[in-house]
Amino acid sequence: MGRRGTSYYVEAAPPVDVNKNTEWFMYPGVWTTYILLLFFAWLLVLSVSGCSPGAAWTVVNLAHFAITYHFFHWKKGTPFAADDQGIYNRLTWWEQIDNGQQLTRNRKFLTVVPVVLYLMASHLTDYEQPMLFLNTVAVLVLVVAKLPNMHKVRIFGINADI
Amino acid sequence: MVRLPYTTALTTLFSYGLLFAFGQLRDFFRKFIDWFKAKNVKGYAPICLGLEDFYVRRLYLRIQDCFGRPIASAPDSWFDVVERYSNDNNKTLQRTSNTTRCLNLGSYNYLGFAAADEYCTPRVIESLKKYSPSTCSVRVDGGTTKLHTELEELVARFVGKPAAILFGMGYVTNSAIIPCLIGKGGLIISDSLNHNSIVNGARGSGATVRVFQHNSPAHLEDVLREQIAGGQPRTHRPWKKIIVIVEGIYSMEGELCKLPEIIAVCKKYKAYTYLDEAHSIGAVGQSGRGVCELLGVDPADVDIMMGTFTKSFGSCGGYIAASKEIIQHLKHSCPAHLYATSMSPPAVQQVISAIKVILGEDGSNRGAQKLARIRENSNFFRSELKKMGFEVLGDNDSPVMPIMLYNPAKIPAFSRECLRQKVAVVTVAFPATPLLLARARICISASHSREDLLKALDVISRVGDLVGIKYFPAEPPKIAEAGHNKLE
Repeated sequence: MGRRGTSYYVEAAPPVDVNKNTEWFMYPGVWTTYILLLFFAWLLVLSVSGCSPGAAWTVVNLAHFAITYHFFHWKKGTPFAADDQGIYNRLTWWEQIDNGQQLTRNRKFLTVVPVVLYLMASHLTDYEQPMLFLNTVAVLVLVVAKLPNMHKVRIFGINADI
Repeated sequence: MVRLPYTTALTTLFSYGLLFAFGQLRDFFRKFIDWFKAKNVKGYAPICLGLEDFYVRRLYLRIQDCFGRPIASAPDSWFDVVERYSNDNNKTLQRTSNTTRCLNLGSYNYLGFAAADEYCTPRVIESLKKYSPSTCSVRVDGGTTKLHTELEELVARFVGKPAAILFGMGYVTNSAIIPCLIGKGGLIISDSLNHNSIVNGARGSGATVRVFQHNSPAHLEDVLREQIAGGQPRTHRPWKKIIVIVEGIYSMEGELCKLPEIIAVCKKYKAYTYLDEAHSIGAVGQSGRGVCELLGVDPADVDIMMGTFTKSFGSCGGYIAASKEIIQHLKHSCPAHLYATSMSPPAVQQVISAIKVILGEDGSNRGAQKLARIRENSNFFRSELKKMGFEVLGDNDSPVMPIMLYNPAKIPAFSRECLRQKVAVVTVAFPATPLLLARARICISASHSREDLLKALDVISRVGDLVGIKYFPAEPPKIAEAGHNKLE
């Protein structure tokens, strides 16, 4: 019944994070899953639409922008606020991870991913116009939102209330 | 520390991502479908904001039939589970009047006191007739009967402390006591996997809370050094007091606490210790006195010992055992003592009788037999499960053994298939456990006979093959030794 010699085991020590909304990000396999999801999304877009690889990366980049901006930087609180008494109700997911500590490995990884996507998308589309503009907007917004100086900052009060 | 295959970690994350994506999609469409629905609560704020109960609505309700199953008999080693059905895909469940007789692997019935016992039950019925089901009063008014004082002395003697105080509810014991012991300006350092009652008590106290890595005395020392050197936040004044809270057996891991090392660290830095023995009192130790006895720690070294009567004693409620001065202070200041109704007298009598059986003071050696049987049962069951290739957590001698499932889809699969084969198990998922580490938690009892355990092993092995949770290679079955059954 076992898979002798074919499984690679990882150790998962419970991380010291009381916030259940973000603690799952400290387990092994998360970065790989994220990268694999992006890669498979690219394959999916390519197979469904049959466009050029660069256009597919642009689509993936923009979808990634929309989804990660919405869930990391727009939605506040946790999906089970009854359990932790709503102490994170004013914080977005990005502000909650690693207990609010800035410049940790997880945060650096998550900041690099949009940049890498941007480089691939813009290179493979030969820096042509409408795609380049959209990709640049995406990467600028995402990277600025992840800067340490933007911790708990709400520009013009957008998204400030619960 | 759990070891999981890397591919399992990836697939579990992917499954949760898929569940999350579908939940968000359904919420998105629900927003449009409900756009024009007449709302007759104009002007009032919503009770739940959109994201707050997302987990309950979109993940928990899908597998609701695996949790909260009603039972129709006493939670002995075999019990009756009420069958339920659902007409709207598990959003609501209806009970039928049919019951199934199932093997009980979920109740905290460590010593078998959950069902009628030959020594305890007659005495409980007698006290029910004499003292009636409720004292209808608060402890300080008219709610302290002779039974209550007798039990407090008995618990103090059993645990090895000078005095004890009782409460009607185990959860409340933690969440109402911790605010009485420490307040603003104090520091609570608690293990990262502590129970929700401790977390609530710590948050309610107003003290600063810091968490140390589960069962790691080295990290506890680091945290203590950092906090003592830093002092209170912002003012950097010295802390008013420091309490370190650990549990005897962690109910989700089945692990024993590294008590001697942790006590040594706390003594070095002069921090108070609070030991929550909810799952270990009465179930481990040579004479049932808990982890202190098992690990050779003098009870006088632990400042406050807390326990519950729900697990090994077949009753309800909790206690705190500490020095006479602390108990005196608690009796004057704890709201659970001053304002809550006292424990029901038959429940108190049940605990008194159970402790007497455990100590052997009822004139027989049933207590020692039960303790030996639960140790034997736990070790046998755990070693057999490990041989089959399951990932089982927990130390030897601990009657709690979680079997790791990981994938969210395996939780309902395991639970429902086991129920179909007449074995009732409790599965635990997020948020009681970390997101990736969903598990099925087995609680072994002294009332399980060897045939019960073999049937359970057989069913779990077959269901484990179907569901695919044998993450480790199984040991090949040995040639039959004397008394060892070959399992297939």
